[in-house]
Amino acid sequence: MIALLILSPLILLAALGAVWKARPVHAALLLALTLSLGGALYIALGAGFLGLVQFMVYVGAVAVLIVFSLLITRPRDEVEEIARRPKSLLPGLLCTLPLLAVLLYAVGRNVPETTTEAVELPIKRIGELLFTTHAPAVLAIAILLTAVLLGAALFAREPSKKP
Amino acid sequence: MNPLAVLLTLSSVLFALGLFAVLTRRNAILVLVGIELMLNAANLNFIGFWRFGPPDPQLTGPMFVLFGIAIAAAEAAVGLAIILMVFRHTRSTNLNSSDSLHG
Amino acid sequence: MTFLIAQTEEPSLWSPEWLPLLPKRLVENLLEHFNAPEWLISLGGTGAGAATVLAVFMTGFALLSLIERKTLARVQNRIGPNRAGWFGILQPVADGIKMLTKEDIVPAKAEKLLHLLAPILIVVPAILALGVLPYGKEWIPVPMELGLLFFFAVGSLTELAVFMAGWASGSKFPMLGAMRAISQMVSYELPLVLSAIAVIMVSGTLSLPDIVSQQGGFHLGFLPAWNILTPWGLVGGLVFFIASIAEANRCPFDLPEGESEIVAGHMTEYSGFKYALFFMGEYLGLFAISGLGVTLFLGGWQAPLPGLDFVPSWIWFFGKLAVIIFFFLWIRATWPRLRMDQLMRFGWLGLIPLSLLTIPAAGIWSLLQRSQHGLLAWLVTVPLLLVPFVIMTVLFNKRLARSNRTYRFAES
Repeated sequence: MIALLILSPLILLAALGAVWKARPVHAALLLALTLSLGGALYIALGAGFLGLVQFMVYVGAVAVLIVFSLLITRPRDEVEEIARRPKSLLPGLLCTLPLLAVLLYAVGRNVPETTTEAVELPIKRIGELLFTTHAPAVLAIAILLTAVLLGAALFAREPSKKP
Repeated sequence: MNPLAVLLTLSSVLFALGLFAVLTRRNAILVLVGIELMLNAANLNFIGFWRFGPPDPQLTGPMFVLFGIAIAAAEAAVGLAIILMVFRHTRSTNLNSSDSLHG
Repeated sequence: MTFLIAQTEEPSLWSPEWLPLLPKRLVENLLEHFNAPEWLISLGGTGAGAATVLAVFMTGFALLSLIERKTLARVQNRIGPNRAGWFGILQPVADGIKMLTKEDIVPAKAEKLLHLLAPILIVVPAILALGVLPYGKEWIPVPMELGLLFFFAVGSLTELAVFMAGWASGSKFPMLGAMRAISQMVSYELPLVLSAIAVIMVSGTLSLPDIVSQQGGFHLGFLPAWNILTPWGLVGGLVFFIASIAEANRCPFDLPEGESEIVAGHMTEYSGFKYALFFMGEYLGLFAISGLGVTLFLGGWQAPLPGLDFVPSWIWFFGKLAVIIFFFLWIRATWPRLRMDQLMRFGWLGLIPLSLLTIPAAGIWSLLQRSQHGLLAWLVTVPLLLVPFVIMTVLFNKRLARSNRTYRFAES
């Protein structure tokens, strides 16, 4: 509970920075910070395995991918996104604030009873479930990831000169 | 102060921030940042209900989160590949300028 | 020596096996003597244990920098540093003084905060990773049930730190070096994790002390049951060690930081203590990942022959670590650098298929071994690994077919 109260404002601040900061690389690095603080929150809530997986996949792969493509497309030269704010800021707020209001209202209205004993995530049980109950989903994700790998490799090839 | 309420509030605000980023950002890659924030908020919800809800031998929450992380990574990879291809074609990641179907 | 009051409770306080844990035990006894609360005792004990590990590895880092230069020098038929003290033993001290007293130059176009943060974020994961390795039968600083996953998770933080170092320096060489370094590290993280997955599958646990304990025992009375002495373990171990050379950015995979190529890659704009931190992070990362390789494949602290149990287990661990690091130094001294495309091709088309093959091989091996079909296990897994390897080698060589060398301007 204490960890939750300490980490929540930090996560919110980092996410706010990721969403609002003008320089793209700063925003991407703040996303990495948000994701790693989220992983720390998972660990504090007892799902240590998921927290470390979040670190390894989200921070170690997805965030690195995002900053790498920012390096390739090199937006450092442009003064990014300061002038355009008046244009799409208002529609964005118009869509987001009602959604936020509805969500917070739903949360405030009926929050169920909570059990407060901490239970550690059993890894062996995850393994059993993955390969018995959720085996079709694992196969589907395997095919999905193979397709993503092949697709990204095909996309990234230099366009060959057709005769 | 209900811990579950704190967690759900946190994930709602994260989701709204992600949505705001998707709607407002001009750089295509930063839109992807918003999408990742939204997926993270949903994962946080699942973990919250697993932790503070009735004990579940089927571990539905963590299972969903595991698959969610995998799918988010796959979708980030494909999204970035597409963005880079568009960049190679138009030399710009500005979404406002990619508004015609004809190249 | 009043704080040895509790000596009678632990008669093995001074035995060689417990020697590295001496500071931790002393601090715990001292705090207990002063009736400190429980959390303070465990905090103090863990802190003392961490300080021990850090002291050992900092000394190792200093010695390694000297031994590396001496070894490279001898291979290259020269002597190496021998001015600073007897046989150059004070050379690391001289290097340290030099690094500390150099002026700390930050480029004008650099991002100050990220420029400062990057070296710290390179050293911290290496030190964190050193905490979960089992150095001896009783010596493990932080015994975690998810130790291996923790290791890989903090290892992936290094890539982000390399990017920060390259981008925050604000000039072309570091950014180019950072791009190369990141693509190399991401590509070679896959074979690293895949070959570790075979070990996890066979051992059934992510906790490193348990993986080492399962490699105890001896086949036929004298062959140790290490993972590297199995077919899948041999392939997996070789893939792991090659990938760890690439992860540590060492020759032949040091294109991102080779001096003749790109000045110093992502570390170009760093001077003084920050450069020393980069250096330290690289070497400590090398220690950590070779230590993991020793733990997963070479049996950790297990002795190689049945009768050698009287030697303390941590001596075996550091001995094996020294052998592996010596191989890395040897490879650095003799092999040329790989080009970027050669590097990528080797990683994606060579190491990843091989490491993917170790997983079913390990599964088949483990299944057949447990149902007492030992010979069948060998007969099935060896062709399973050997045939694709031979096919890939033949295909590789055909692609890089050597033709007769032609000299264009030799005859005039």
